[in-house]
Amino acid sequence: MKVSLNWLSDHLDLSALDTPRLSDLLTFAGVEVEEITERGVRSNRLVVGQVISFVPHPNADRLRLCQVDDGSGTPRQIVCGAKNFTEGDKVPVALPGAVLPGGFEIKESPLRGVLSQGMLCAGREIGFSDDADGLMILPVDAPVGTLIHDYLEVDTIIEVEVTPNRPDWLSHLGMARELAALAQLPLKGRLDYSAVTVPTAPAGSAVRLEDTAGCPFYTARRIHGVKVGPSPAWLVRKLESIGLRPINNIVDITNYVLMEVGQPLHAFDLAKLQGGITVRNAAEGEFFTALDGKTHALTPADLVIADEAHAAALAGVMGGESSGVTETTTDILLESAWFQPNRVRHTSRRLGLISDSSYRFERGTDPAQVAGVSELAVRLILELAGGTAEGTLLIAGEPPVLTSQVTLDLPRAQRLLGTEVSETEVTGILSRLNLQPLGALTFRIPGYRQDLQRPVDLVEEIARVHGIANIPASMQGQFVPASAADAAYDFRMDLRRKLAGQGLYEAVTIKLVSQSQLQDALGTTPQLLPALPLRNPISDDHTTMRPSLVPGLLATAGRNLRMGAASLRFFEAGTIFAATPDGKAIERDAIAVLLSGPVSPASWSDSGPRAADAADLRGLLEALAPGVSVKLKPVKSDRLLIAAQVIVNGKPVGLCGQAHPARVRAIDGRHPIHVAELDVSLLQKAVSREVKFEEMPRFPAITRDLALEVPADLTNGKVEDFFASQKEPLFSGAVLFDVYTDPTGQKLAAGKKSLAYTITYRDLTKTPTSAEADAAHTRIVTGLKKALPVSVR
Amino acid sequence: MESTLSELLATATAEIPAAADETALEELRVKFLGKKGSLTALSGGMRDVPPDRKAAVGAALNEARNGITAALETRKAALIAARDAKEAEGIDLTLPGRPPAPGALHPLTQVLDRAVGILRRMGFALAAGPEVETEWHCFDALNTPADHPARHESDTFYFNSGLLLRTHTSSVQVRAMQTQTPPLRIIAPGSAFRRDEIDATHLSAFNQLEGLYVAENVSLGQLKGTLESFFRALFGPATEVRFRPHFFPFTEPSYEVDVKLSPKGQAPRWVEILGCGMVDPAVFEAICEARGDDVYHPDKVTGFAFGMGLERLAMIQWGIPDIRHLIENDTRFLGQFA
Repeated sequence: MKVSLNWLSDHLDLSALDTPRLSDLLTFAGVEVEEITERGVRSNRLVVGQVISFVPHPNADRLRLCQVDDGSGTPRQIVCGAKNFTEGDKVPVALPGAVLPGGFEIKESPLRGVLSQGMLCAGREIGFSDDADGLMILPVDAPVGTLIHDYLEVDTIIEVEVTPNRPDWLSHLGMARELAALAQLPLKGRLDYSAVTVPTAPAGSAVRLEDTAGCPFYTARRIHGVKVGPSPAWLVRKLESIGLRPINNIVDITNYVLMEVGQPLHAFDLAKLQGGITVRNAAEGEFFTALDGKTHALTPADLVIADEAHAAALAGVMGGESSGVTETTTDILLESAWFQPNRVRHTSRRLGLISDSSYRFERGTDPAQVAGVSELAVRLILELAGGTAEGTLLIAGEPPVLTSQVTLDLPRAQRLLGTEVSETEVTGILSRLNLQPLGALTFRIPGYRQDLQRPVDLVEEIARVHGIANIPASMQGQFVPASAADAAYDFRMDLRRKLAGQGLYEAVTIKLVSQSQLQDALGTTPQLLPALPLRNPISDDHTTMRPSLVPGLLATAGRNLRMGAASLRFFEAGTIFAATPDGKAIERDAIAVLLSGPVSPASWSDSGPRAADAADLRGLLEALAPGVSVKLKPVKSDRLLIAAQVIVNGKPVGLCGQAHPARVRAIDGRHPIHVAELDVSLLQKAVSREVKFEEMPRFPAITRDLALEVPADLTNGKVEDFFASQKEPLFSGAVLFDVYTDPTGQKLAAGKKSLAYTITYRDLTKTPTSAEADAAHTRIVTGLKKALPVSVR
Repeated sequence: MESTLSELLATATAEIPAAADETALEELRVKFLGKKGSLTALSGGMRDVPPDRKAAVGAALNEARNGITAALETRKAALIAARDAKEAEGIDLTLPGRPPAPGALHPLTQVLDRAVGILRRMGFALAAGPEVETEWHCFDALNTPADHPARHESDTFYFNSGLLLRTHTSSVQVRAMQTQTPPLRIIAPGSAFRRDEIDATHLSAFNQLEGLYVAENVSLGQLKGTLESFFRALFGPATEVRFRPHFFPFTEPSYEVDVKLSPKGQAPRWVEILGCGMVDPAVFEAICEARGDDVYHPDKVTGFAFGMGLERLAMIQWGIPDIRHLIENDTRFLGQFA
């Protein structure tokens, strides 16, 4: 909302408050000050002038050479490009030396060969309006020679954001009331509209309320013989100062009253209403054409003001095109009412119609001032548009009572605030906010403060006005034990640090993916669960909760390739989602890794580092689970070229493998892409173990190398499984040290490969003899040959 | 014999310093002092020496042996020193290092971990909750009116089941109060989602850090002290913090908190960082009803809550001008925060 300080001055002497202080007062009252703008230029070289005559510029078709009376007695010659004026028009004249917004200084200088002694100004050039088309034409009675800043009032406009709980701030009176309370300044002007002097009468058939929940209170006043026309300068200035466009005196008055006291009004052209009016729910499919010319289909959830034929207004939102006030209107019906906020909000939002009126009704207006404000508007109409008002204000229903009284529990308030604010101060603060003390810390709440219903609401007021700056900061707090979430966080951070330390970048991608990205999903289980789609996605790129981190990592890889990255080493940790059969959500904490291309940057020492392979990925997985076994169990996967289940300490925790070459080609990759995705909580369980000290062996061990010739499709895993099942007492481990194939078939038959292991034999009580080791080795080799199709090379 | 001895000593002390390398030196040692060496051979002549001369000849022999040994050792030390010196030849210490693969934590993780670290020192424990939430946990329990705009399909992502993507991590407050008893002192980092088009300042999925403290007599003064300490730990001990009254459905009084910061090359200005307030009694009432007990009854406990956007914190911390950098994962960006 825009607040004019000139307008505010109708109620408050602002001379003691400079703009920064005012801005601070509002800020610390909870009003967000978005922008402060000066309206109009203050300059002693900017005056009201009158165009005496003009001729075309001798050297430029589009310019005029004007003789201008600036009040000095000597006509002034000014070159002007505008065309919207005639002889005798009064316009703002910037004399040489005037400085206009933007630091633009007016100088006496030739323009296309002819001397120009100043500038005739558009409204925008002197900051009084946004109008940049042509000169600002001043009223005929503007006194020539008068300083513009005296004639057009210079103003400061503060644009504020008002929180939804404080609709009472959505008017100049409301702002003035708040500032008066905060700065302890006296208020002036009319402040109270809770009483009416005009007689009231039940409206009877003139106004019927069908839905008293939607509209419990409605007042109407008929005025005959008004003359619709332009508003006087003071009204135009007020409306323009806060960015409203003047329309005609009747509409301008309703707008002025709304901005003055916050009560929206509506004026109907009485001649266009057939019979009495009814406040009712719209019929299903009923059509309504609003003031903006658009036609809407209504539903019974919409509340309308209807005459006997059709809906004439959407209650609290917008008037109808057919019953609006126009230049030809002579008789009007002025509505002032209270509408249920939810109903107004519903219709406004459903139809996308947001008006100054709906904005206030949906936040809650003051029922107590409905009738009094009507009277204010009627007085202004009679004053500015003439006519005769009917003697009574027609009334239907009763104003709802939405506020009552609230009692403050002072000790409790003090505990909540953490400060010993005194009863005197509390009463003082609340009284200044127009809460009427009824004794014993009980206060009557004014009708415009519907946000004050409970004692805690009063505590908020005390905190606001007392100021949190005056509440001592305390650094106390009870301690609490760490939680499972703490352990999970620490574990996750540990994984992240390990991977970053292994030379991977952490990626953070959006948790919503597109339909086409689903084909990249890996997940942590061999069977990928159904994905979880959104009902109302915002774009095709983000339709589904990610079922895997891999789509995001592949997109990250693709983006970095396009940006020229050679090495792709990324990981991401975060939630992945799946749908249960009944459409509920499964959320798992996952971590995924992507490796592709050079394992280290190229350098003088290695101009072409090797590309990452499956063993690099497995090494990383092993680094994430130190001290426990990491095994890969090959599984079939239609998502990957080759895949394996990751088994940590005997428990499946995720999947790994190599992306399909088609995916690599799709992102213009030059190297195989290796990916893994693990379930973090399963991994956390799998690696958690109690570490106990183990005595180091005191006697040396004996090793024997064993080179096996095996069928090419026999995996190292099978041989490892055999070693793991060994019962031989001296056997203490086998380590693969070479894998060899011979494509030429000369040293090793095609279809065969060689796996070579170093086997360690150890006795914890003594150094084993060669003979003992040999005997054990022979038993192992014999067992191995029996168990697997291997021969010793 | 004595003349032969002095001749031998002269030969040895001339040849030994000239030995080209350690092998040559060893050959000389064998030549003079070995079992078949010349000095050893001369020592064998002792038995032919008359008894009155034995002492003198013996002393001369010893002297010669000592002299040769000393020469050998001197030469050996010199050869080793030369060999050691040679090891440094050709080493250019200014060559670039052999680079390991670079890696880094994402800036969001770094800023989160800093914030979490500070709050943990202040005695907060972590809590977590689902990102796919019920409307009750995300809105109803947090005193959000049934027709509040935030619930609208245009603002919030929904699923066919009626569940939604939480619009704030405040739903974790509700989850924590449902499952734990006071005193409750938690922080909950996590994702939140709003149906916003992605642009320089908005993401449809972003990250927040939520905090909640509920116990007997938790006060606004404690909220103030907690957050001031937090920001001073995060931004430096002289950091200025201000609380602006605001409105949230689930806290009263409510505040937005600004911190005075100097973005790179700019004058200090107030930057909005978080929203906070005292837990609204209506939230406690909803929790009591859901729990079926009164441990969170507003007559028994009070509390404060706060929530901040981590993207914003990261952007402020490093002067990142566009929020989209944080989800694009360009290594040229990520590498800046290693």
